[in-house]
Amino acid sequence: MKNKTYNWSAILLFAALVLAGSGSCTRDYDELELASYPTTPEVFTDGFSAGLNYAAFGGSKVTAFDVDKDVKYEGSASMRFEVPDFEDPLGAYAGGTYFTTVGRDLSGYDALTFWAKASKSATIDLVGFGNDLGESKYLVSMQNVAVNTNWKKYIIPIPDPSRLTKEKGMFFYSEGPEEGLGYTFWIDEVKFEKLGTIAHRQPIILGGNDEVESAVNGLKFPVGGLGVSFNMPTGIDQTVIAAPAWFTFLSSNESVASVDAAGLVSVLSEGTAVITATAGGEDARGSLTVNSSGDFTHAPVPSEDQEDVISIFSNQYVNVPVDFYNGYWQPYQTTTSADFKVGDDDVLFYTNFNFVGIQFTSPTIDASSMTHLHMDIWIPNAVAPSDKLAVKLVDMGPDGALDGNDPTLVYEIAGPLASQSWISVDIALSGLSSRSKLAQIILERLGSSLSGFYLDNLYLYGNGGGTPTEPTEAAPAPPARDAADVISIYGDAYTNLAGTDYPDWGQVTVVSEIQVAGNNTLKFAGLNYQGIQLAASQNVTGMEFLHLDFWTVNSSGLNVFLISPGPVEKAYVLTVPTTGWTSVDIPLTAFSPVNLGDVIQLKFDGSGDIYLDNLYFYTSGGGATGVPSVAAPVPPARDPADVISLFSNAYTNRTVTTWSAEWDDSDVADLQISGDDAKKYSFTNFAGIDFSSNKFDASGMTHFHIDIWTPDEVMSKSLSIKNVDFGGGTAEATSHILTIVHTASGDIPALATGSWVSVDVPITAFAGNQTRSDLAQMVLSSNLSTLYVDNIYFYKSGGSTATEPAAAAPTPTREAATVKSLFSGAYTNVTVDTWRTDWSAATYEEVSVAGDATKKYSALNFVGVETTSSTLDATTMTHLHLDVWSADFTGFGVKLVDFGADGAYGGGDDVEHQKDFASPAQGVWVSYDIPLSDFTGLTTRAHLAQYIFVGQPSGATTVWIDNIYFYNDGGSTAAGPTAAAPAPPVRSAANVVSIYSDAYTNITIANFDAGWCGGAAVTQVSIDGNNTLKKNAGIVCHGIDFSTNRQNLSSFTHIHFDIYTDDTDLTGDVFNVKLVDFAGGAVEASALEVNINTGTTPAIVAGTWVSVDIDITALGGVVAGSLTRSDVAQIGITTANLTNVWYDNIYLWK
Amino acid sequence: MKSNNQFLIRGILFLAGLFVLAGCENNSGLEERTYQLVWQDEFDADGAPDESKWAFDLGAGGWGNNELQNYTNDAQNVIVADGSLKITAINNGGSFSSARIRTQGKFDQAYGRFEARIKLPWGPGIWPAFWMLGADIETNPWPQCGEIDIMEYRGQQPNVIHGSVHGPGYSGGAAITKSYGYANNRFDIDYHLFAVEWGEDFIHYFVDDELYQVIEPGDLTGEWVFDHPFFMILNVAVGGDYVGFPTSDTPFPQTMYVDYVRVYTEVSGK
Repeated sequence: MKNKTYNWSAILLFAALVLAGSGSCTRDYDELELASYPTTPEVFTDGFSAGLNYAAFGGSKVTAFDVDKDVKYEGSASMRFEVPDFEDPLGAYAGGTYFTTVGRDLSGYDALTFWAKASKSATIDLVGFGNDLGESKYLVSMQNVAVNTNWKKYIIPIPDPSRLTKEKGMFFYSEGPEEGLGYTFWIDEVKFEKLGTIAHRQPIILGGNDEVESAVNGLKFPVGGLGVSFNMPTGIDQTVIAAPAWFTFLSSNESVASVDAAGLVSVLSEGTAVITATAGGEDARGSLTVNSSGDFTHAPVPSEDQEDVISIFSNQYVNVPVDFYNGYWQPYQTTTSADFKVGDDDVLFYTNFNFVGIQFTSPTIDASSMTHLHMDIWIPNAVAPSDKLAVKLVDMGPDGALDGNDPTLVYEIAGPLASQSWISVDIALSGLSSRSKLAQIILERLGSSLSGFYLDNLYLYGNGGGTPTEPTEAAPAPPARDAADVISIYGDAYTNLAGTDYPDWGQVTVVSEIQVAGNNTLKFAGLNYQGIQLAASQNVTGMEFLHLDFWTVNSSGLNVFLISPGPVEKAYVLTVPTTGWTSVDIPLTAFSPVNLGDVIQLKFDGSGDIYLDNLYFYTSGGGATGVPSVAAPVPPARDPADVISLFSNAYTNRTVTTWSAEWDDSDVADLQISGDDAKKYSFTNFAGIDFSSNKFDASGMTHFHIDIWTPDEVMSKSLSIKNVDFGGGTAEATSHILTIVHTASGDIPALATGSWVSVDVPITAFAGNQTRSDLAQMVLSSNLSTLYVDNIYFYKSGGSTATEPAAAAPTPTREAATVKSLFSGAYTNVTVDTWRTDWSAATYEEVSVAGDATKKYSALNFVGVETTSSTLDATTMTHLHLDVWSADFTGFGVKLVDFGADGAYGGGDDVEHQKDFASPAQGVWVSYDIPLSDFTGLTTRAHLAQYIFVGQPSGATTVWIDNIYFYNDGGSTAAGPTAAAPAPPVRSAANVVSIYSDAYTNITIANFDAGWCGGAAVTQVSIDGNNTLKKNAGIVCHGIDFSTNRQNLSSFTHIHFDIYTDDTDLTGDVFNVKLVDFAGGAVEASALEVNINTGTTPAIVAGTWVSVDIDITALGGVVAGSLTRSDVAQIGITTANLTNVWYDNIYLWK
Repeated sequence: MKSNNQFLIRGILFLAGLFVLAGCENNSGLEERTYQLVWQDEFDADGAPDESKWAFDLGAGGWGNNELQNYTNDAQNVIVADGSLKITAINNGGSFSSARIRTQGKFDQAYGRFEARIKLPWGPGIWPAFWMLGADIETNPWPQCGEIDIMEYRGQQPNVIHGSVHGPGYSGGAAITKSYGYANNRFDIDYHLFAVEWGEDFIHYFVDDELYQVIEPGDLTGEWVFDHPFFMILNVAVGGDYVGFPTSDTPFPQTMYVDYVRVYTEVSGK
């Protein structure tokens, strides 16, 4: 190796002369040049250039680099890099940087070039320049550089040469094993050049995309995806990754979000700011729109002591070692992290969320002494009410390895998930069979709308430290009881005896009342003993038990006494310390010989800090307790044709053979509550209701109703209702099940203690096969002990929910010559081998919708359609068209598979791509015109052979599909808007009731296109990626019926909608929107109308989106009719003389 | 108007060049000629190309070279704006549209100086050209009618242009051709002036008034057919035998900018 030394002294002296020369030098400054740095272009040609040093990167194999005099591109030597094998003890990869101690002036060059070859075809992870082992300010790199066994020249353009006047980082590289195997590559003739043949510089931020980010004040995050693209001498573009210093960043609103020279965005105040950048004087492609919803609300500060906590992520505690907070588990995980810090508070931020794993294996966590997992979650955007977040806590188990056979606790955070507020979750670990080797926490969404959330204060807690702490959960709520059955001393559940006192008998105990999770709780701190003086003697002979709930972590002994005059007292030993709340029901016989007819005092003695609640005497009353004191709500009057009742005083009931079949293990009793018949079930496991001798067809019914009441504690309890259909036979053919649990789950109400719960749900809420044409039995299964039921019936909703399309899909209008059709009545179709391959997961039917042949897929998970015998050549086509309709899908996808040049499956040339569409409109034909260029993975399309349709919820949706064809749009721009309707602003979910918008969560609408004017009124189209409604030809009104989900809009002050027309003649054009109020009844009582025409403000204008955003708190202007909007059940949209109109973003706000 | 009827004075250098890499010496020693402007389009009137000067070639079919584009007269493919003619090749999801305009039937001329100031597009498979065909092509089929390619260019080699003639016995791949290239520049960054000076027994090729090719009857492997009027063509092809096919890395759209086209006749002989 030849190491030249360069004589720098002259230049340095020269620089000093310029700086110090004033006064002492007689030479004219003009004769002097500014201190300059060498412009040496060579980095490595046949040896190190002047002043060049090498340093291997940390963790790399330091011997990976050497000079090779045998293999070279030119001259006498090259650089050789030996990439180690996987698990090489000397280092995991090859990597290092070549740098000078004195900078070089590279401003006269436009690229770093070198020649490279390798011992085999490979891709080098990273090569570049600008790494000076220091600031590395002007780092530039090229990723995944493909090399092979031939020498080839590589060019890394300099983003803006004028900036490189004293660069020290000359060249660096980093490369790991390829599929576990090492290899060798050589690099030669590394030098900076002025090529002149690289052109068309294009800076890029955010990967060239225009991105939108919801944020809060205080958030700081970097602008990512920085690069600069050049057109190379070969005419193709090449992008290098460039450090922030190459860019100049700009914020459109510095008061909302500023951005510093390093591209770090700081969110400062509520509002919107757009971050852009320039480099070398050119505008960068890509932007970041920051929407700040205002000040960041910190998560609640945890109150547990450090000693009682094992913290995984919290600024409040010392955290244990964590492998990662985001495992980036490929290929299915989409979740990325954008963790941030506000003040001193670090917060995890998961975006693009589907699931994410947090792992801690070095070491694992021994949570034996922990009782709960805590986390705080903040969801910035609105979430569909039925969506949930599942938390999985994984222990390695006895085998000490994560192997898929691990003890796991799964907890579902019940919906509806609140957005824009912290959700604190405390998950009991008692359900986890092993927790001494906790290793992972996996968060996964259930549903599709939860796109991201903040996570803070993720920790385990318990009583391990032994330090006195307070309970964090309230004591269990006692069941409802008749007043006569209870004598209550303390608690929020019953009426307590008046005048109870906690007298000072000289004890040291400090008595106080505290709040635990909103529940009054009695605290005996530093107990030695403590009396409870009743205001008057109590006769408790009619009672059976003394109940109390107690909680202590530091008591070594605890007794409770009853005292009668004498004093006669008797202790009952309570087991301490407790794990959480302990509830005891002490038989009063245990207090003998105390006179139960004359109890005057109670007393506790022992030690420690004791928390007490729900101290009362009670009797179970031999079955008389826990009876509803009021009748179930009276069902509404209905047309007999709309009801099939099994049990109700309001309707005519069908004959039921038995309410507790011989084959069940539970009992039923009849009773009356305030004159209303009810039934009481005493469950062992399940009760069978049999009406098989009088079966009925409930197909025409849309809803199921049952009123339930239980005296039981409902925590961890559930009730399942199974409707059994005999399918024309004599035994169960199909069934569907509804499960009611203790927390609300979507539209299904929760179990509650001591109050009537009306379960009133669409049949679609039942899981399973909803066939109900031959119902014969109903099975109630529960781990409740007692359940009262009433008003069991099926009914047909007045809103006549659309469950299948009434109108045919829109007839295609494209010229046949530009179309290749798989299925359409409008075109000649190609030969399709099958509309349902045998590997499909769906049921297929050919049906007719209003006379139009249509494909119907039910129980759709995915279905394959094939043209394998004669593949379809779509190379001249530009788009795929589909019309789809579903009443219940939440997602729809289509995958195209091309069999490649061999025209056959396999062969290594098959390509495919799936396009997914989230939240398609329900109950309306949705037309997709998908540019084939969107199928980016479909790199060939001359031999299309498979078309796969995917529905969500998987296996539980029915989708009708029509007009499946490819077409060439001839480059013409379609009529209508090319840009999406203006995006509505970010608003708190509480301030919006959205009928139709991609920006907000829309309310549940039973019938989105009610067909008031005959036939389907609208078709959903995608305008610039935004779902938009297009009025169908010849239809002048669009009814939106949500009478089963009526809205009180009294507090909402504005209505909004966006309209677009391309009509050339606007004469007489009218677009009216009417809010229909039912005033508690079944039909329109009044309506508020917003009437827009060409003379109003705003006015209908052609060729642009018109945003109508109207104050509806007063009549006048475009607002007419009645302002009453407390029971809005429908929205009607009527048009006149409008030929084409598109509309979007229908919502009310305040 | 950028220039009016002005006279150019030029000498002729006899050189036997092979591939000439740019731009070095002056063309000293050229025989003096004097040219007078007789036809021009300065592209100063916004809108579609001037109908009195240009006609459209429309359609697809490969144009004899397996080209991929469909030629249209849509404004997105061809328009005069900002002082230039813009011919733009567009990728519509794998099918390509572009434009080709010609003076056939509107202007043709034998001999003289033909020049255009052009900024070229780039990318693999992009094939712009400024060229001429014999005006008798409909009765005297190609290659007998003759073809003079003043400038052709392959987008994957943005620092090189080519000048050629085609005729009987020397057409297609056997054309008489020479290339002119830059070591440290490219033709898609700025405008360059591409010209031929054509006389009874010579065709001289110029880039920015640098002579780089001289073709005389003795250089041909066939008959000299450059003795009758030719018309001019401007186009941007996509793909084809000459240039190869565009790749997924070819940036689209791609535009050829033509500042002006001017034609002169020699007014005083040697």
